[in-house]
Amino acid sequence: MKLDMHGEMILDQYRDNLPVYNRIKDIALDSIQKCLADNGIIVTGLEGRIKTEKSLTGKLELKGYKYRTVEDITDIVGLRIITFFSDEVDIISALAEKLFDIDWENSVDKRKMLEIDRFGYMSLHYICRLPKSICDDPSTPQLNTLRFELQMRTALQHVWANMQHDTGYKSDVEIPIHYQRSLNRLAGILELADEQFSRIRKEINDYRRNVQSLVASGNFNEVPLNGDTFRSYSELQPFKRLVDKIATINQAEIYDDSIMPYYKVLLQMGMKTIGDIERMRIENSDSAYQLALIQLAGTGLDIIAYSVALQNICIVHILKQGFGEAGLVRMFDSLYGESDYNIQRAARIYQQAQKTNFFVKPNADKLACMLRREKGPLKRNIL
Amino acid sequence: MVTLDGRLDTSNADQFQQDIAPLMQGDKPDIDIDCTGMTYTSSQGLRLFLTLQKSVMARGGKMVMRNMNPQVKEVFDITGFSNIITIV
Repeated sequence: MKLDMHGEMILDQYRDNLPVYNRIKDIALDSIQKCLADNGIIVTGLEGRIKTEKSLTGKLELKGYKYRTVEDITDIVGLRIITFFSDEVDIISALAEKLFDIDWENSVDKRKMLEIDRFGYMSLHYICRLPKSICDDPSTPQLNTLRFELQMRTALQHVWANMQHDTGYKSDVEIPIHYQRSLNRLAGILELADEQFSRIRKEINDYRRNVQSLVASGNFNEVPLNGDTFRSYSELQPFKRLVDKIATINQAEIYDDSIMPYYKVLLQMGMKTIGDIERMRIENSDSAYQLALIQLAGTGLDIIAYSVALQNICIVHILKQGFGEAGLVRMFDSLYGESDYNIQRAARIYQQAQKTNFFVKPNADKLACMLRREKGPLKRNIL
Repeated sequence: MVTLDGRLDTSNADQFQQDIAPLMQGDKPDIDIDCTGMTYTSSQGLRLFLTLQKSVMARGGKMVMRNMNPQVKEVFDITGFSNIITIV
């Protein structure tokens, strides 16, 4: 490639400016990274690059006449933020407006530039400068005068842009109508997918907020049991009273572990709502304490896990329901995986429970029903 | 592989803590504790296992206790520690 004198002059300016471009890129990337972290925004990509000499030469060869000096070229430093969701592009652009000085005359929202009969799926481009609040180095004033381009797009917009780059298609190039139609359809699918992802995320967030408020307000019967609702419920520390009482047996320290592993046990036990768990808690807390008393009194064990409260409640509930040792084995298999030890443990607890007033003899009908539902674990066990 | 023998209680908890200290160094430590010869653990032992597991997990590693006899296992069960420590 051969440039004219004007082009060569701009190229020389570019070479002189390279150290500054690198500093601008690094400072801008750091600022964005910190800003995203401060605002709790997770993105799928954040990248920066300096236009290569080869690429700049190509640009100057094609339209070097448009630029008086290298300062007129705004994309030598390019930064890109790739988001998961389309609404995050708007949030990040608002943050960028606060962070950098935006050259509005040269910034474009390419998302709004598309005509209805043209294909494409574009992103938001801001032309920015570093403000002195971010970087103030009197020895290098160009840090605040040279502009850089900040692209903000979703992951799907990024896919589209890369495909477009790879295939060499540009929206201003005439292509056969059937290709145009195929690309239009594809762009439509990506745009629709972006919208749907954002909509679904909003609905899930609304649902979670609603459920959290229902849980917090104590309307447990209206709250279906799922991973999210159980987590919200567990945050209320519903078993604290019982575990505090169990801790008094040996003046024990309580280690605050998670009760989330019990989620699948509760589902297995047929719990449908948080209200079902609450009823089980209320009905069985005294018996669960009684079981802990049998197990812990005289041992001197002065540390217990918070989850021991729910563990004992589940054990009591299973025994009271008449599921006997088989029910306990099923619970332990679910929690820790199948093992012969689970059978021994169930037998030991069953023996201990026989001395209590909550003990109920196993119900043959219920056991048979449970066995019919079971495909794996109980075929090998004590029955 | 770490092998435990006999009782773990207040009388030897400090020694055990010193013995396992080197295991808590480095990235992604995988600690396998063979409890075949272990006959008892007190609360002090539970605390040490908890500390060890937390330290290992904080470094991205994992800790497994294996071949525990039923009497020792019962201590983990009735305190709820079976829900915290990985026992196979």
